[in-house]
Amino acid sequence: MPSERNRRNFLKATGVGLLGGLAGCTRGGSGSEGGDGSSGDGSTGTGTGSDGELAISLDKYTGADIDWKQFEGTKINIGAVQHPWVSAIKPAVPVFEELTGIDVVWNILPEQQFRTKRQTDVSTGAGQFDVFYMDQVVNQFREEGWIQPLDPYFEDSSLYDEAWYQPDDLFEASKWQAHGGGYSDTWTGIPITVEVQTQFYRKDLYEKHGLEVAETLEQFRQNAKTIHENESDVVGTVGRGQKGYGMNIYILNTFLREHGAKLWDSFPDDSGLDSQGVIDAAEWYTKLLQDYGPEGASTQTWSDVLTTMQEGRAGHIVADANLFWPGLTGEDSKVAENIGIAKAPKPADGTFSPNAFNWQISTSKNASNSEQAFLFMLWASSEPTNTWLHLNSSAAFSVRQSVWENDEFRSRVGDNFAQVTLDSLQEAAPDPFDRKYPEWGQRYSEELQRAIAGQKSAEAAMTQAAKIAEDIYSG
Amino acid sequence: MSTPTQTETASKTPLTRVRDLWNDYLPYWFMAPMVLVMVMITFFPGAYDLYLSLIAEPTFNVFEAEFVGLSNFETAFTRGGAFHSFVITITVVVSALLLESALGFVLAALVAGVESGRAKSFYRVLFIVPMAVAPVSLATIGRIMLNSEIGIIPYVIETGTPFAAPNFLSEVPLLTVILLDTWNWTPFMFIIFYAGLSSVPDTLVEASRVDGAPLWRRYVHVIIPYMKTVVFVAVLIRLIDLFRTFGVVYGLTNGGPGTATQLVSINIYEQMFINNQLGVAAAIAIVYLVLVVALCNVIIAKVGFEGVWD
Repeated sequence: MPSERNRRNFLKATGVGLLGGLAGCTRGGSGSEGGDGSSGDGSTGTGTGSDGELAISLDKYTGADIDWKQFEGTKINIGAVQHPWVSAIKPAVPVFEELTGIDVVWNILPEQQFRTKRQTDVSTGAGQFDVFYMDQVVNQFREEGWIQPLDPYFEDSSLYDEAWYQPDDLFEASKWQAHGGGYSDTWTGIPITVEVQTQFYRKDLYEKHGLEVAETLEQFRQNAKTIHENESDVVGTVGRGQKGYGMNIYILNTFLREHGAKLWDSFPDDSGLDSQGVIDAAEWYTKLLQDYGPEGASTQTWSDVLTTMQEGRAGHIVADANLFWPGLTGEDSKVAENIGIAKAPKPADGTFSPNAFNWQISTSKNASNSEQAFLFMLWASSEPTNTWLHLNSSAAFSVRQSVWENDEFRSRVGDNFAQVTLDSLQEAAPDPFDRKYPEWGQRYSEELQRAIAGQKSAEAAMTQAAKIAEDIYSG
Repeated sequence: MSTPTQTETASKTPLTRVRDLWNDYLPYWFMAPMVLVMVMITFFPGAYDLYLSLIAEPTFNVFEAEFVGLSNFETAFTRGGAFHSFVITITVVVSALLLESALGFVLAALVAGVESGRAKSFYRVLFIVPMAVAPVSLATIGRIMLNSEIGIIPYVIETGTPFAAPNFLSEVPLLTVILLDTWNWTPFMFIIFYAGLSSVPDTLVEASRVDGAPLWRRYVHVIIPYMKTVVFVAVLIRLIDLFRTFGVVYGLTNGGPGTATQLVSINIYEQMFINNQLGVAAAIAIVYLVLVVALCNVIIAKVGFEGVWD
């Protein structure tokens, strides 16, 4: 549906892109703007106010039966990706330093560079990072013996006070993923952020066409059809079609669970990817994108989805509440006033089961300061720090229920957004990242992408994905 | 280097012997630092890559490493998709090389034939611009220009021709990759061919024209043979560079849909950074390196030319 307006947008975008490209040829630039942060710059935050007061009162922590000062005078290195949690927590880090006497040094890298450095650090036994971001490779690292289980620290009365920490305040989905997604009996790290899938829709278009917010997949499809067929320059829906385990399968996994299927009916012999529930979910998702999505749906990434929705060119989407809400309702969005949020749809006879993803921080067996690292994890994920962080930044990814129930936070982010996210997080079912998930997840996503591109049927794609996943374990 | 007699050797002090050793092998001592650097930057990474391809999990400690023989190589070609990515790579390399060489030569010949110096300068700059665009920017621009919703290329095809525009990134991704690379790198061939054409003596061309040779004969029998070395060097450099293609394709298609545009370089990257299969990635890299080096050597040996290495 090309139009004159889009043409002008394109020319502007191309002009900017071309200039950027030419600029990219120059040497000696400052690298990535916004701080690639590969600096180990220590804590650069301003944890103290202008009058020298700390951002968070130490009283919030000193009441805990924890010997915060036992490692005074030491230092911890934190390896992290460029992530909103880092920017949000940095200003509070002086509070931790004051509380414990432990200096914090940040090593912040772009995601792929960080993964490489983390892999090298743990596999070679260098132990440079005392604390590091951990993601889908958690079970691979755990089984290699690279991750230090945290249970011994939780059992150490000088390091942990359960009554103060309130572990039950953490979402079950977050705790489950921190236990290797059901593959580990011990804590592999502590969750710091969570993202859960919800539905975003255009309130103005729904009102214009008399549509009800979809509760079922069929309603979701019908709403997409109505908008797609009756609006020019607006597609019914848009979704992640690009391969990658954070891309298309991250969305499909919600729908397959809601269809009563699961990943690994019997680990590691039966992946479950060729079960009827998965095939039904894959057929529904591919057909939805093919019929009512944009051209080239198979190449859409999450950022394409966000941009399309921000530009007002899609009727509704299923995406991460926490990642998309600021983008869709912020100043970059042309439809900020018209974005509604609701729980992700489910089959009429299915179970609501949205996918979720947690970033966690872990420590390695070779780290020199794992106990200090544990204190940092505890402090960073504690209720006082979490609440402060969510009231004093644009963050909206708390792993603690109490934050989502906090009136001040709810008034900042919007009551409806907070309630939908809270409800979704309480029912969330994250992906279980088994040891070889990165490998077979990638291949599974490639098969799904082929189906979305129309190169093969969803059934053939999922059957092939099942075979690949099982071969990877049997081989 | 003289051969010392027994008497001379016996009478030499240790210091003298060291001095002789220094003097006798002086060129080698001077070369040693450079050789050391070369070993560090070429031999060591290669050896480490080979080591990684033979072990189960990466570790710097050789004594702790679990050697698995050729298992990673087997995995690479069974479930690692190595064969498929080699086929894709060869398709892209051959197609793009032919297109870039042909277009580069035609453009160079056309510009060389322009009489006006100002016009010639304008065309030279114009044709070089695409090569100056950074790969990731090119991929981004490509995604926008080829986008079925807002892209100018589908728009021009649909409004200016009787044909429906395909979805470039999902229906004809391989062709799209080849054409984008051609757009990006034809200027490189153009520059070299243009320089080569400028070096052909006017008297030679004039003589063939006086002899009545038509334009195409002048090119086929006079100009191109004269430029053989230039053409060979340009093709060889571009060939090697094409095997290293990564950024544009990864930015444009991520190697997809599925694995439709998964070059070997992308496969290695995905095995390494997405699948965390360092051994498999290293195995594919080793095979790739050997094949590319062998291919280049075969080409140099078979085509054979003088004046390049000498």
